[in-house]
Amino acid sequence: MEDKQTVLVTGVSSYWGCRVAARLLTLPGVHVMGVDTAPPDKSLEGLDFIQADIRNPLLTDLLSEENVAAVIHLAFAESERRSEATFDLNVMGAMKVFGAAAAAGVKKIVFKSSTLVYGARPDNSAFLSEEHGLTANATSGTLRDLVEVEAFCNGFRGQNPDVALTVLRFPSIVGPRVDSPLTRFLSSPVTPVLLGFDPLMQVIHEDDVVEALVYALMHDAPGVFNIAAEGVLPLSKLRRLAGKHAAPVFHLVAYWGSPLLAAFKLPVNRVWPIEPDYLRYPWVGDLGRMRNVLEFLPRYTAVEALREFAGRKRLEQLGPESPGLAYDEERLRDTIERRRRARSPEESPEARPDGQEPEMIADTVGPDGIGPDAIGAEDVGEEVV
Amino acid sequence: MSAPMNGDGGAGPTDAAEPNQAELQIQLQSEIDRLIARVEETSDYKAPPFSPQALLRLLEENAARFQPEALRGILTKLQETVSADLLDLDTWKGIWYIVNYQLQSQADLVKRRVRGEYETDDWGLDSEFVGAVQPFLTFLYRTYWRVTTSGMEHIPAEGPALLTSNHSGQLPWDAAMLGTAIYLDHPSQRIARALYATWFPTLPFLSALLTKMGQALATVDNGTRLLQEGNLVAVFPEGYKGVGKLFRDRYRLARFGRGGFVKMALRTSAPIIPVSVVGAEETYISLYKSQTLARLIGFPYFPISPTFPWLGLLGFVPLPTKWYIDIGAPIPTSEYGPDAANNLVLVSQLTDQVRNVVQDMIYHRLEQRQSVFLG
Repeated sequence: MEDKQTVLVTGVSSYWGCRVAARLLTLPGVHVMGVDTAPPDKSLEGLDFIQADIRNPLLTDLLSEENVAAVIHLAFAESERRSEATFDLNVMGAMKVFGAAAAAGVKKIVFKSSTLVYGARPDNSAFLSEEHGLTANATSGTLRDLVEVEAFCNGFRGQNPDVALTVLRFPSIVGPRVDSPLTRFLSSPVTPVLLGFDPLMQVIHEDDVVEALVYALMHDAPGVFNIAAEGVLPLSKLRRLAGKHAAPVFHLVAYWGSPLLAAFKLPVNRVWPIEPDYLRYPWVGDLGRMRNVLEFLPRYTAVEALREFAGRKRLEQLGPESPGLAYDEERLRDTIERRRRARSPEESPEARPDGQEPEMIADTVGPDGIGPDAIGAEDVGEEVV
Repeated sequence: MSAPMNGDGGAGPTDAAEPNQAELQIQLQSEIDRLIARVEETSDYKAPPFSPQALLRLLEENAARFQPEALRGILTKLQETVSADLLDLDTWKGIWYIVNYQLQSQADLVKRRVRGEYETDDWGLDSEFVGAVQPFLTFLYRTYWRVTTSGMEHIPAEGPALLTSNHSGQLPWDAAMLGTAIYLDHPSQRIARALYATWFPTLPFLSALLTKMGQALATVDNGTRLLQEGNLVAVFPEGYKGVGKLFRDRYRLARFGRGGFVKMALRTSAPIIPVSVVGAEETYISLYKSQTLARLIGFPYFPISPTFPWLGLLGFVPLPTKWYIDIGAPIPTSEYGPDAANNLVLVSQLTDQVRNVVQDMIYHRLEQRQSVFLG
């Protein structure tokens, strides 16, 4: 107990808190503490759970008393509209947790953010570096809170140089279990897209989100990092990989439509889970820092993550009686590929699963076709006769 | 595939040429066999059993599905072989195999597109899409504007280079034609990545089209990254000022932006290749630019020409002028080192130098040109 490092997970009863705590519990030498207002899932065996609100001023005492080494802050409520309640939890909560951590001498804080904060804008470069401004045109409550917390983080970093604050910005998250804007988007019968727009997008698998958060906690890497799966996909390809048909909508209709839906108290985030701007302009993060500074590589590529998601969805529709053998084969192939890549990371750029046979043939015939071989020699005989 | 096998169809074969031809034929045949073996190895595809009648039927049924050139190529080849080795079963089998393979791959193409199983690079370049659009651009390039291109040898076979061109003609056809010229006429068929203005991403269809063609938004970040990856990048530093030029200002270069293109080149030590496009400036006759209308509908400029906006969509049809694309000698930037990008004096000097070179190239071409439409 003494030589174990204590890690505090805030919001441990939420989906991400639960996933991260479960992953941390598998690591030796880590004592996992969890804080939330409601008790977490029963499956988290070995979790040291403390029922409390993160905004409680006594949090500082708890942190110093328990000698907490690192905090992973996951108490964040998604909300469609701006509300004081969620603002208080998301923004004031983060401020209070970070402040308490600094006061209690916690060495490390990890915060889960999103590349949404860059904003989808027509003047965005194809790859946005972490230094890019927080230029999101925050219309949803979640996004506004996220931008606010990120802005606070920038100030916090300067004022508390001895606390290593790591912010991980994730793109749209896909996976069989997670409920994210993208999974909602791809779960509707038809995906509403903007007519004539096909922006490039990044995704990440839910397992890799957990891995990245734990990795950041275990390694010394202060700063901001974009974390995304290998591969940038046009929305049309992304949607097709997920096996979805598009319902194109004229973009002005989409812009006028969502406030209209909201006005009639219709569930906008079900009908239109991704804001029109994000379906229109690119918001792709540059992964240079993830690869070279953090040295983290997500296990799933973008294509694999989507294929897995699509396969699960197909199975759900069919019911558990008819497990698609083809899907199972596809999944196993991806898994083998992924594991092979994990063993030999230097091979990864070449290891593209999709065939390019025609090109390969064209390339290889030239240099090989030197001089007649045995078959050619036989033909000579026939021709001469 | 469509390379002529026996020249002028035996207009007068000499005794010396005879064995050569036979040798060539054997060589080709063995190569085809090898190719078939390789295709069979790499794909599961097996051609249905062969018969000459079935082949002709197949060709007839699917005539519409081939591109005209491909079909003509196959038929010519058939005609040639019918006269040469009509009785050689192997030849027929080879053709049978090729035709079946092509049809199968076309059917597969549709399936793959629907399932999203196609390759796009990190910038969104979709090679299959480029291939599909190319016939139209080739028509514009070869037939409509009869573009004459010179200086293709100045573009390196590989590695980064920054093409810097004048911009004109209300719609960015000049960028499309420069890309087409390099795609069609450069020995290594390079794809030029043109950097486009901020207005285009806001437009439906055009934004998606540009991304699929592998183009990117004109930011210094994008240009630098593309050059670092070893791409051929095309910039039009005049921007809106160039493309929205009035007819009376034609061939007078506007300011070359803020020198961002020079910074890209300096940072990556990529050579700057000046390009002049002559002919594009007369494709639309813009007499007046309406500020009010432009602001009203959110366009960066709104040209008033004899045909636009009076004739509606017909006003978009460009005039069939004769075009010249001249590619000049590269201006090296490696001697300055990557830090020189912060040297504002050098950047503005180089900007002016490139602008003068392009302007001179335009004047040189205009001197020789006798007619706008005939060249």
